[in-house]
Amino acid sequence: MNLLELNDVTKQFGGLTAVDKLSLSMEKGEILGVIGPNGAGKSTAFNCIAGVFPPTKGEVIFDGQVINGQKPWDLCKKGIARTFQIVKPFASKSVLYNVTVGAFATTSSRGEAEAKAIDVLKLLNFDDKKDAKSSDLTIADRKRLEIARALATEPRLLLLDEVMAGLRPAEVDEMVEIIRFLREQGITILVIEHIMRAIMALSDRIVVIHFGKKIAEGTPEQVASDENVIKAYLGDEYGVS
Amino acid sequence: MTGKSMTGAGDNNTPYETEDAFLDRSALARQVVKDTINKVLLGAVLILVLALPAVISSPTWLHIIVLIFFYAYLTTSWNMVGGFAGVLPLGHAVFLGIGAYTSTVLSLQYGISPWFGMFVGGILAVVAGMVIGLPTLKMRGAYFALATIAFAEGVRVMVENIEYLGPFKLNGPRGLQIPPLNIGWADFMFSSKVPYYYIILGLLLIILFLTWTVSRSKLGYYLTAGGEEPEAAQALGVNVSRAKVIAMALSCFFTALAGTFYAQFSLFIHPKSTISLDISFEIAFIALIGGRGSIAGPILGALLLRPVSDLSRIYFGDILPGMHLVIYGVVLILVMIYQPRGLQEPLTRIYDRVVNRMADGFIKGGDK
Repeated sequence: MNLLELNDVTKQFGGLTAVDKLSLSMEKGEILGVIGPNGAGKSTAFNCIAGVFPPTKGEVIFDGQVINGQKPWDLCKKGIARTFQIVKPFASKSVLYNVTVGAFATTSSRGEAEAKAIDVLKLLNFDDKKDAKSSDLTIADRKRLEIARALATEPRLLLLDEVMAGLRPAEVDEMVEIIRFLREQGITILVIEHIMRAIMALSDRIVVIHFGKKIAEGTPEQVASDENVIKAYLGDEYGVS
Repeated sequence: MTGKSMTGAGDNNTPYETEDAFLDRSALARQVVKDTINKVLLGAVLILVLALPAVISSPTWLHIIVLIFFYAYLTTSWNMVGGFAGVLPLGHAVFLGIGAYTSTVLSLQYGISPWFGMFVGGILAVVAGMVIGLPTLKMRGAYFALATIAFAEGVRVMVENIEYLGPFKLNGPRGLQIPPLNIGWADFMFSSKVPYYYIILGLLLIILFLTWTVSRSKLGYYLTAGGEEPEAAQALGVNVSRAKVIAMALSCFFTALAGTFYAQFSLFIHPKSTISLDISFEIAFIALIGGRGSIAGPILGALLLRPVSDLSRIYFGDILPGMHLVIYGVVLILVMIYQPRGLQEPLTRIYDRVVNRMADGFIKGGDK
């Protein structure tokens, strides 16, 4: 059974249709990449899944259940976690504190939550920085913190919004390794990303969105040679001949 | 640390493990020593404040100290929502007023002990807090602050203009006088200041303990997270509005208890002395200067600012009434420029350094 399904999801802001009848599905354990030019509606689709706002039309189905319009904190308890494109650490607090907030999603005891937070940090080789103030972290570590926090909520579906933007190539490789490792832990992952090298290496399947519509879907190789995709990125003159 | 030189002699195959183990153990020992020092110092302070009335016989000084504790208590209550939840309530005096008026009306008209009226006032304050909090706690920044000011001022004007609220006599701007007829614990009324001292000390210790407990609980983590980055907190499973509403309820309840204390302490309440913006602002000033969102901040703030207020009233009271608020303003500007997180931050750092040095001294002394 599919873990996540979008059926004709449409999101309109006033007269603007940001997402237009988007359908996609994700199997358990899959890494799905979502790409598209700037302003294509990737983040809007992402926010519809994460519960930031409900879709105007269509259905978002998670684990067989329609989750349209449910609040982010309820979705989090159902097993959907996300990161933010612009990182939002609780800046005055330590790394451990940040991750413990996430761990409280499944327990009310501080001892348990902290123990779980430390486990997650160890999993990501991040426990040496657990006492660092999160505002003192480098951008790569802040992105890692975003993932650690989301992971501490014990998600089944992890939504990653441009976790590699702004990283150096070596850091990108490290992040790719982390995401692969998370999939091995049995987590289904949806990745929005602009860095093609990373998303091609990472994704089992890729969905391409342009002007809110899905224009292509398939393995990285299929998508890379798709005529519509090349047009969308490079303009109409660059048809494949 | 002397850890590195000692592990050099160890097994070469597992140098990291032994070093880690050694560092862990010595760090642990250090932590234990530091915890002990903290506990001893805390105990010393506790004994000091418990013994203080035996040393200070002047009622004036005792009065000043009671007011320091009173404001430390009020600010700590305020801190639950104003500090941890990251909003800025500027009308908390209204809950003080609700507490004061409720217990006073109940005891004057119905002969109910203020000890009981205190809790009725607390519950009424929670209801009032929900009326103002449920629609406004979702607002960010200045809007919540403005809403609380408007609410508090509205209530004050209302109380000043009505003699009777239903069957309850509020007596408008003239306020209510509590005749000191039944002195004793049953009626929360004393001729000496010493019992008031111990009551407000007890209340302060309770609210401090509660704040400490909350700050280490799920609620505390959720409040801090929601206050700093609401969107991120929501994505991590935090119902930010609900956490804020709970904090607001706690804060209102405990603020109202202080209202009853104030009424019984001064035996005279009127709208200007309880529901005034001066008090609301003074609480916020103390919190901001001491450090919002910290446990020590409100106490430090009250310790530093209350004497300023009392002394300025003694020396400038006739010429420049309200001088203390001017001084507060200047201090607040300076603190916000140089220590935006309040005075507790540098002071905590100094305290930590002293404790560390003491711990080093003990550990070295022990090795010899």
